[in-house]
Amino acid sequence: MFRFILSYLFIWILFPAAISAQSFKSDSGHVEFHSTVPLHSFTGKSNHLVGKINLADSTVDFYVDVHTLDTGIGMRDRDMMETLDAKEHPFADFYGKLDTKFNPNSFNPQEVTVSGKFTVHGVSRQISINGTLQKTESELQVEATWTLNMKDYDIKPPSILFYRVAKEVDISISSTLHEIK
Amino acid sequence: MKFWKSTSICFLLILLLLLIGSVHAQMKRELYKKVKIYDTTFWTSTLYAQSTTNNLEAHNLNVTIMHSFGLATSNIIQDFFGLDNPPNVRLGFDYGITNRWEAGIGRSTFSDIVDLRSKYAILQQKSDDSMPISFTLKGDVAVVTQENQKPLRNDLSSLVSAIFSRRLNGIFDFQVSPMIAHFNDVRSGNIKNIFSIGLGSQIHLSKRFSLVAEYYPVFGNRNRGTKNSFAIGLDIQTGGHVFQLFFTSSYWHLEQYILAQNTDQFWSGDFRFGFNINRLFDL
Repeated sequence: MFRFILSYLFIWILFPAAISAQSFKSDSGHVEFHSTVPLHSFTGKSNHLVGKINLADSTVDFYVDVHTLDTGIGMRDRDMMETLDAKEHPFADFYGKLDTKFNPNSFNPQEVTVSGKFTVHGVSRQISINGTLQKTESELQVEATWTLNMKDYDIKPPSILFYRVAKEVDISISSTLHEIK
Repeated sequence: MKFWKSTSICFLLILLLLLIGSVHAQMKRELYKKVKIYDTTFWTSTLYAQSTTNNLEAHNLNVTIMHSFGLATSNIIQDFFGLDNPPNVRLGFDYGITNRWEAGIGRSTFSDIVDLRSKYAILQQKSDDSMPISFTLKGDVAVVTQENQKPLRNDLSSLVSAIFSRRLNGIFDFQVSPMIAHFNDVRSGNIKNIFSIGLGSQIHLSKRFSLVAEYYPVFGNRNRGTKNSFAIGLDIQTGGHVFQLFFTSSYWHLEQYILAQNTDQFWSGDFRFGFNINRLFDL
């Protein structure tokens, strides 16, 4: 009996070495959001999206330091940091799992859905996001878009005189993750 | 004995498994190390006419439309608080060449004055107080383009200022700005060089509203009949715009002309309404 348990545990210890070969990571992914106000719109961008995908256990893990978001106008960035309460809640992150099957042997783009916990402004919600994964020899290309409703995350849309920034914000990410050796 | 040995091995292996399992857990969240530290003083590149240490970021364009009307306190009904008088309007464009250096051009309707100006931020106050003050050098050259039968060199004027500022307690911006104005045309008895220590302040009432004041005490020789100019008003910022509503003693939007031409005394009730619109573009 003990021999069986020992064998089982040994297999489990050895197995992660195999699955780590199916892990991909990047710390220079791109994230941007598009926000609108009447007669005007603006985009905020960051090239410091950190992400990790483990194909073996289907985990998807992304986060960005919101301080790195840049709308091109410093005064607007300062406003945004206050709105997001960035000192208190510096990260926007997603942690979840692939809902759909992904074939790691195919180099074609594959539509996938991930479900998990998205957190921003210190508020977490369970969401599903549709995106595309494409594997190459040693990389994994990720693209995804979704719409965030600021009210769902207790973010008060900034008011500009007599009107407010639209509460819905379009978010997109793209990242090339490199295989963890 | 054999039982305990086997159990210990199992325990160690399970512990090892747990440790390896942690490899697959959520990544540790780490702050990005090179986060921009914001310059914290003032919302605009100029208060109402006085240049500030606020510098445009690289590739930002600030379009400014400045207005000042007639005296609000004389012929109140007939001139509707001075709004019936023709305003002095300055249309200006300032561009951030780098995060520290900006240059601009403007045109005022009074005397059709065209001015070129540039500012360079030598020191920038940081929000973490690693640099406690801001210090900017500014230069401005203006030319009267209205036909006046004078040689071109007599139409030229200039101003140089060294602007020191500091934000206190996160809500109060204050600046001291020694400046010297130079006019080429002194035939009408005017002074060639005028010296002032400009004072400016901004009190942040909220994220959107602030109270602003500027003052130009002239030291030494001054043109006959001129008075120290003062302005006070309310700024409203929206992220991309700053709207400025103010009362000022001077008609002028250029510092050298404020020093040389202002004949109205704010404290005697000689002030006018003015408003500026600043619109920032990211090019």
